Amino acid sequence: MRSHLVPLFLFALSPLGAAVDFDHEIVPLLRKHCGECHAGDKRKGSFSMNTRESLLEGGENGVVLVPSDAGRSKLLEVVASADPDVRMPPKGPGLTPAEQARLRAWIAEGAPWTTGFAFRQPAYEPPLKPRTPVLPPAQDDRVHPIDRLLDAWCKDKGLARPAPADDATFLRRVQLDLIGLLPTAAETEAFVADPSPDKRAVRVRALLARDVDYADHWMAFWNDLLRNDYAGTGYIDGGRKQVTGWLYASLLANKPYDAFARELIAPTAESEGFAKGIVWRGSVSAGARPELQFAQSVSQTFLGINMKCASCHDSFTDRWKLRDAYGLAAITSTRPLELVRCDIPTGKPAVAAWPFPELGQVDPAKPRAERLQQLAALMTHPDNGRFQRTVVNRLWHRLMGRGVVHPVDAMQTAPWNQDLLDALANRLVESKYDLKAVLAFIATSQAYQSQAETLVRGADDKGYVYRGPRAKRLTAEQFVDALWRLTSTVPAKIDAAVDRAPSGRTAVVWQARPIWSNDKAKGELPLVGETRVFRLRFPLAAMPAAARCVVACDNSYELFVNGRTASKGEDWQTPDALDLTSHLRAGDNQFLVVGRNAGKAPNAAGLWLQVTLVDAQGKETTLATGAAWEWTLPGATARGLPGANAVWRPVEVLPETPWAKGVGRLPEALGRLSGTGGPPARASLVKSDLLQRSLGRPNREQIVSMRPNELSTLEAIDLANGQAFADLLNRGAANLVRRPWRSPEEFVRWLYLSALCRPPSAAEQKVALEILGPRLAEQGVADLLWAVCMLPEFQTIR
Amino acid sequence: MSLPHGLPLDPSLPEPLARREFLRLLAGAGLATLSLGAPRLLGADDKAVVHPPAKADACILIWLAGGMAAPETFDPKRYAPYEKGLEYKRVLSTFPAIPTAVDGVRICQGLESIAQVMDRATLIRSAVQPDLGSILHSRHQFHWHTGYVPPQTVAAPHIGAWMARVLGPRNPVMPAFINIGQRLEGVGESEELKAFTTGGFFGGEYGPMNLPFPEDAAAAVRPPKGMDAGRFVNRDKEFRRLVDATPHRDLLSDHQHESMLRSMDNAYRLLSAKERAAFDLSLEPKEVQQEYDTSRFGRGCLLARRLVENGARFVEVTTEYVPFFQWDTHGKGHDMVAKMHKEIDRPIARLIRDLEARGLLDRTLVVIASEFSRDAMIEGRPGSKAGDQSFHKGSTIENPDHYGLHRHFTGGTSVVMFGGGVGKGKVYGATADERPLVAVKDPVSVEDMHATIFTAMGISPQTVFDVEGRPFYATIDGKGKPARIFG
Repeated sequence: MRSHLVPLFLFALSPLGAAVDFDHEIVPLLRKHCGECHAGDKRKGSFSMNTRESLLEGGENGVVLVPSDAGRSKLLEVVASADPDVRMPPKGPGLTPAEQARLRAWIAEGAPWTTGFAFRQPAYEPPLKPRTPVLPPAQDDRVHPIDRLLDAWCKDKGLARPAPADDATFLRRVQLDLIGLLPTAAETEAFVADPSPDKRAVRVRALLARDVDYADHWMAFWNDLLRNDYAGTGYIDGGRKQVTGWLYASLLANKPYDAFARELIAPTAESEGFAKGIVWRGSVSAGARPELQFAQSVSQTFLGINMKCASCHDSFTDRWKLRDAYGLAAITSTRPLELVRCDIPTGKPAVAAWPFPELGQVDPAKPRAERLQQLAALMTHPDNGRFQRTVVNRLWHRLMGRGVVHPVDAMQTAPWNQDLLDALANRLVESKYDLKAVLAFIATSQAYQSQAETLVRGADDKGYVYRGPRAKRLTAEQFVDALWRLTSTVPAKIDAAVDRAPSGRTAVVWQARPIWSNDKAKGELPLVGETRVFRLRFPLAAMPAAARCVVACDNSYELFVNGRTASKGEDWQTPDALDLTSHLRAGDNQFLVVGRNAGKAPNAAGLWLQVTLVDAQGKETTLATGAAWEWTLPGATARGLPGANAVWRPVEVLPETPWAKGVGRLPEALGRLSGTGGPPARASLVKSDLLQRSLGRPNREQIVSMRPNELSTLEAIDLANGQAFADLLNRGAANLVRRPWRSPEEFVRWLYLSALCRPPSAAEQKVALEILGPRLAEQGVADLLWAVCMLPEFQTIR
Repeated sequence: MSLPHGLPLDPSLPEPLARREFLRLLAGAGLATLSLGAPRLLGADDKAVVHPPAKADACILIWLAGGMAAPETFDPKRYAPYEKGLEYKRVLSTFPAIPTAVDGVRICQGLESIAQVMDRATLIRSAVQPDLGSILHSRHQFHWHTGYVPPQTVAAPHIGAWMARVLGPRNPVMPAFINIGQRLEGVGESEELKAFTTGGFFGGEYGPMNLPFPEDAAAAVRPPKGMDAGRFVNRDKEFRRLVDATPHRDLLSDHQHESMLRSMDNAYRLLSAKERAAFDLSLEPKEVQQEYDTSRFGRGCLLARRLVENGARFVEVTTEYVPFFQWDTHGKGHDMVAKMHKEIDRPIARLIRDLEARGLLDRTLVVIASEFSRDAMIEGRPGSKAGDQSFHKGSTIENPDHYGLHRHFTGGTSVVMFGGGVGKGKVYGATADERPLVAVKDPVSVEDMHATIFTAMGISPQTVFDVEGRPFYATIDGKGKPARIFG
């Protein structure tokens, strides 16, 4: 509809004597000469003529057009200018004299504009406040809200809903998604055999209840999202601070997400690393100063807003402006901030503000701590649906392989299913911001428990169509954890300073007492070089699922388990932590330790050893040095092993006094080690290494919300011939061949069940057996392990 | 030819599998187009970026990390010999100038071999760097290698990653971007080095293959220790049989599975290709090995030559950055630079002659560069607030340890380019003859340096990718201008 407000008498003043036709004369002219830089989402020089309002608002150099006042309309000046630095458009032949005349006439007419016209209609603006979607009726008794929504969506689109996944596929997926660990072969078989109808929901709850496993797993996700790591740029000179301890404790306690966010925005000393950002030495561009990093990080992590453009200039691609970024920056700034556009100060002061004033605003007059509290409160305001939707969308992406809004940081763009997004967000709020509740909500839906989509190239070229969950690449941490567990090569120590057994929890209790031979008179000390042999014999009903050992001996030892060397130690001040799983067996077992004293004069000697055995049901049993052990004199062999006729006597259990003080503080070190030896190490808690980098663990210099799903060629080269990976496979193979397999077939079946949660097909078994050769040997096992780990089926979660 | 490792050059590859031909075709296609969510090259439809015609197919960046002092190498100034009590303000160069193969162009004593090949070079004497305040080497190195000042809100790709992404590999089995001589673990500022030694937002496919020890490079393309060639090849073959035996046939058509198998394919292709021999320095004649063997860097130059001969696109070879070592002279500068002269002089000259003898120099751009220069008096640039970082704080030189250029200088430094269409026997730009030794003619910024290198390689400085909905240019805002050094 044309505007009819144009006074008729102006027609006479129009140089060409005819009324200007906005739609057919001016729109094409502006589109041709100006549109590239100043229409749609383009706003060079902060100037847009996308709508009449934005045109009249002008740009960074002030007003551009004054209706009915051609003389004060700079637009006419610049299109007519002979100075190439001034003329608009800067490129091309520019406006012809006739075009300039039409433009002048149009301005003189009052720059009439077709009501509602925009060169491009305003970009999608997502709803801010929570919405309650109306749930369609359930189909076929699929009553879960997610299924009611998606079944209706599929029906509406004429698509079949995805077929259900089988139990084993579900189990592998849900274990990896919720706690990052593969189920054991026994667990998979038991789960598949379990006839109870609610076993999937029960398993979801059981997995989420494994709080240490849950925290270990989700550390990787949150470290990425909060750009927290145990090494990285900035730590070198104190320009960066970890939030590791706080984050782990928060995950372990399943801290409500609103409180979690508040503690990151208005932080304590433990959680301030995120808000502080990375301070680089020397001068940085204005948009990279810590205050602006705060604006960017808070926007991205909690709101899915990319404030990186707007940190330097008004965004060309969305609605965020320089003042939005500086508004957030000013909230945390300790000094007055000036708006700086592309490193040129504008002279305009930044005013503390956050981008959704609809929900309330930060008071710039308040001191910093209070401003941050206000921001934290606004962010977690019950009406801030954006905050809720952002995090549930991230969880949906982790579990379903693709965000409802995708990419997950593009929360300004439309979801493929708004009702689904809102249903997830509402579940978060109803559960009082319980992230585990949202995970359970997703994981108990039929949608999550469906077969994964078989992804074809260019699947999303014409927009996303839901066809079930998408496969995800195993994260580096999941891959490494799987391999460590399969092959009993879990390292003894972690790098993350986290408390995995806070007080009040059942930790492994340190029970081992120092022991030595009882052949000493009172006050007499063991001689230099004195060697004694100790043993403990014990039966086991079944091979343990895990056996973790901590051992130390003043001064040195060699440990044999069931006749084979398991460990040697020369430095009594550094206790060893071992995985003995592959050394033990059903039936009779024996620990045998050859211990040796050293020094310059007779001195105290002692042996400590403690093993935590975990059975298939997760029940723990502890064996430790104490009165049940026996000792004898070494035999005449080179390693001091006693003969069959040796006489065994009860050991003496010693006081700890000689070791309680001084450099060693041995009991303390042992206790610590057994503490960390409680839950085994996880890849998410160690520093990144070549192998983890090859598997896609990122440098956490920037926030990472989605890791690449593809394996690169260079990564594949590392997996094919990287020494660290090869060594790990070799160590693992050595451990595996020691286990009492009845046949190579049994091993292949166990490996497939453990790694892929399914038995091998006959064809696979045949190839696998050929790789292994006639009997289980380290080389064949290492090669088969490698081949199975390289299978795309292993490297993905389907 | 006999090979020391018992690995035949062309072990027969596994039986063709059903999908093998398909994979081969895919591997040739631009990899990133296959990757969902990878950054998109802009300008494909509306404003097409026009790439200049390539003058070079390959690039070797000789990286003299730590701040190579131009007045001690390629831009000699008034020579002040050592004497006790010498005033720092009188020290411009601690090496006398020597003539080169180009009339009137002189470089520093110690670089006699390079002097003889300067008639193949354009010597840029007016490279300048911004003053990033506190001079942290790795920040300037980040800037030099990515064209962007850190920190950046997205992971900026290394210049080699740009070449890998835009130009792709020259030879499909050869990694496009190879980085020689820099350890990324266990050295100072290693986290900072990793931040730019990366494919950045292009992804791991375009990142560097890192070969910190040239003499061990062969191991990077050899089976792991303890595994012979037969077993290695067989293992891959068995793996493929296992893939084919999978009961889930439909999975094999899955895009993600395909892409993983393709990467495995590419990896094994290199690990069993004849080009693998390029990584093995022991295959060079003894005489040649000796000529290059001044140091790890010298061996790196030989490796770079072998890799480029066999189709590498971009190779960086460095004297290695280790804080306070090599070119990073905060004390004993003269002696250290004399040692560095010995390390670089013969290998660089021989590299140029070797490339020339093989007819490769015209189509290979060789760049010698460093993050900044050094000076005896000025930290940063004239007027900089950066603190003095030289070990000796006096105004006079009291013993030989004090003799040298011990401060970081960003106002003017030298970059030497050979081949790749650059002028021969030319000098571009100049620095002042008296302190401050700033660029006084034709300054070349880091952005312009990138534009120059990109232009030689046939990449428009305006090349732009869409990253998170934002344009990211090969040179910042597409504004880098190539120096006029070609032809």
